[in-house]
Amino acid sequence: MQERYAYYPGCLASLSQKELDSSTRAIAQKLDIELVEMPSVTCCGAGDIHEAKPDYYLHISARILGQAEQMGCETILSICNVCTLNLRQANKALQEDAALLNRINDNLKEVGAATYQGGVDIRHLLWEVSEGNGYEAFKSIAVKSLEGLKVAPFYGCQILRPSKILGFENPDNPQSLERLIEACGAEPIDYPAKVKCCGFPIVLAREDVALGELVQPLEQAVEAGADVIVTPCPLCHLSLDAWQRKAADFAGKEFGIPILHLAQLLGAAAGIEESEFKFKRHVTRLSPEVKAKLQVPSAIGTEA
Amino acid sequence: MTEIKNAHLTTLKGAYDTELMEATLRIRRWDPDTQRARFDTFTVTVPVTASVLDALDAIKDTHDGTLAYRKSCRMAVCGSCGMRIDGGAALACKTPMKKFVDAGHTITVSPMGNLPVIKDLVVDMAPFWEKIRAVKPYLDTKDEEVPDTEWRVAPEHGDMIHKESLCILCGCCVSECNSMESDPDFLGPAALAKAYRFVGDTRDTDTRERLRDLNGAHGIWDCTRCYFCNQRCPKGVDPRDAIAKLGAESFKEGFVRDEGARHAKVFVDSTFKGGYLRETELVPKTIGPVNAVKDIPFALQLARAGKVPNPLSPHKAKDNDEVKRLWKLLEKEAKGAERPRAQHPDAVREG
Repeated sequence: MQERYAYYPGCLASLSQKELDSSTRAIAQKLDIELVEMPSVTCCGAGDIHEAKPDYYLHISARILGQAEQMGCETILSICNVCTLNLRQANKALQEDAALLNRINDNLKEVGAATYQGGVDIRHLLWEVSEGNGYEAFKSIAVKSLEGLKVAPFYGCQILRPSKILGFENPDNPQSLERLIEACGAEPIDYPAKVKCCGFPIVLAREDVALGELVQPLEQAVEAGADVIVTPCPLCHLSLDAWQRKAADFAGKEFGIPILHLAQLLGAAAGIEESEFKFKRHVTRLSPEVKAKLQVPSAIGTEA
Repeated sequence: MTEIKNAHLTTLKGAYDTELMEATLRIRRWDPDTQRARFDTFTVTVPVTASVLDALDAIKDTHDGTLAYRKSCRMAVCGSCGMRIDGGAALACKTPMKKFVDAGHTITVSPMGNLPVIKDLVVDMAPFWEKIRAVKPYLDTKDEEVPDTEWRVAPEHGDMIHKESLCILCGCCVSECNSMESDPDFLGPAALAKAYRFVGDTRDTDTRERLRDLNGAHGIWDCTRCYFCNQRCPKGVDPRDAIAKLGAESFKEGFVRDEGARHAKVFVDSTFKGGYLRETELVPKTIGPVNAVKDIPFALQLARAGKVPNPLSPHKAKDNDEVKRLWKLLEKEAKGAERPRAQHPDAVREG
């Protein structure tokens, strides 16, 4: 973990998933990390621009990376799997091909944008707090024990695969979320779909295919006795939380399992004010029992 | 030292004077006659250099001759021995046994996923071949006369389809394809990588027809980007990347009507219009206004939780004119670019 990061919350945390942004800022403050704002960045393209306009994708990625570089930041902190993969994938392509980087920088110069010299790394919050000094720092602020809370970790795809671009841990048997769940005093629940897809990238274009995927983690986590699912990805969160109703109709059974952002779980253990978590922004509501186990007062935030 | 009983492995030992080790494997068995599955665990003595396939051979030779699995070349070229090792598809011949033995770990070997099991580790590859055939896995130069001499393909044009040409049709990418689990008719990573191998071939003249077929139900936009295919491929084909290239080729050729393509276009347009994604445009522009209206009750549920950003005040990043200029610059550049074509042999002769 570093003391200063260029903070790239991405589209979802800035728009429909604002509760992730506020929880992240709160936990960063507790950890004494400085998050440097990036006011001029665009969307990472979410894989969609990579697929539709690959050259444009590399250009806008270089512009984002270049901005971090010009702010004097060596590392971009991401709180989204999709941003993490897309920025790292572009970064690898740019760092490995000097001719490509030169051409892109010429174009960026021509339009008056920041150029990129190739010296930035992109790290996900999960990686920063699940090992090394970041993990120690988190343990020292995790003052509340979430004893009795059964947490099903859901990794999502694009923080694990392809490992030649992500490479933080074994993509078939990741343990970083489990480590953090334990550090919170909670109990990690194991189930096979924790490394599979939530279906979100195609939930609009191919709803049935996506819901067929989404049902698996919901069903398995509930069957394994989890109180909540925690995920490091706002897209997975949106899928598991907001599309849960559709998944339930699709599967013909109720799940009713609340979904936490990683920063919310960490924040609860760190004793952060419940108002930062903005639980009322969740579509699948947290029951008073779950809130009690999360040690956030159930009187607040049970509206709706 | 334990005596080795397997004739083939004895030869190996003789040739390399290899140390021996005890390997334990848990194997999923499927008996087609009784339609019952069970797990059998075997311990065999093999050279320390043995692959999982060598261990399976030792089991079949010395313990249970009825164990069924496919194999041929033993050197990661034929693509026969794809199977799940601890749940992940891999080539048994390319997976060394020693790391598991050293870790004291008993591996679980099971058949590949997304394909029907015939017996034990043998799957029915018929649905796999059907999809490969569906993408027309051969060169089509249409009505052009068959030339007397070879086409000349520039090395850089060969490079464009180099990775996809490495495919050995083993099926490891298909085994864990999450979209195919949900939609068994999805063409899937192997067939789509094969499709790109011909879409990107500068001799092929059937590009538009190929892309038209791939845009639609069960085509490229079914891919959920789980990246299991890239992770599993033992030859570095990166099928997901090939699918993305097919998306880019579709855009170049103007195939932008599939919901998946329309979804992608909202992301592209959002960046130069304001910076971040315009989430509220995503639904109507992807599924169309009529279907969006049908989804209003769902949208209201999301709106109640504050998940629908105000469409009248979309996100506006600082200095976003740079991005607009960049977009225009690249579109101008792309307009002038022609699809690269291989040189026709007759043209080469005349030249």
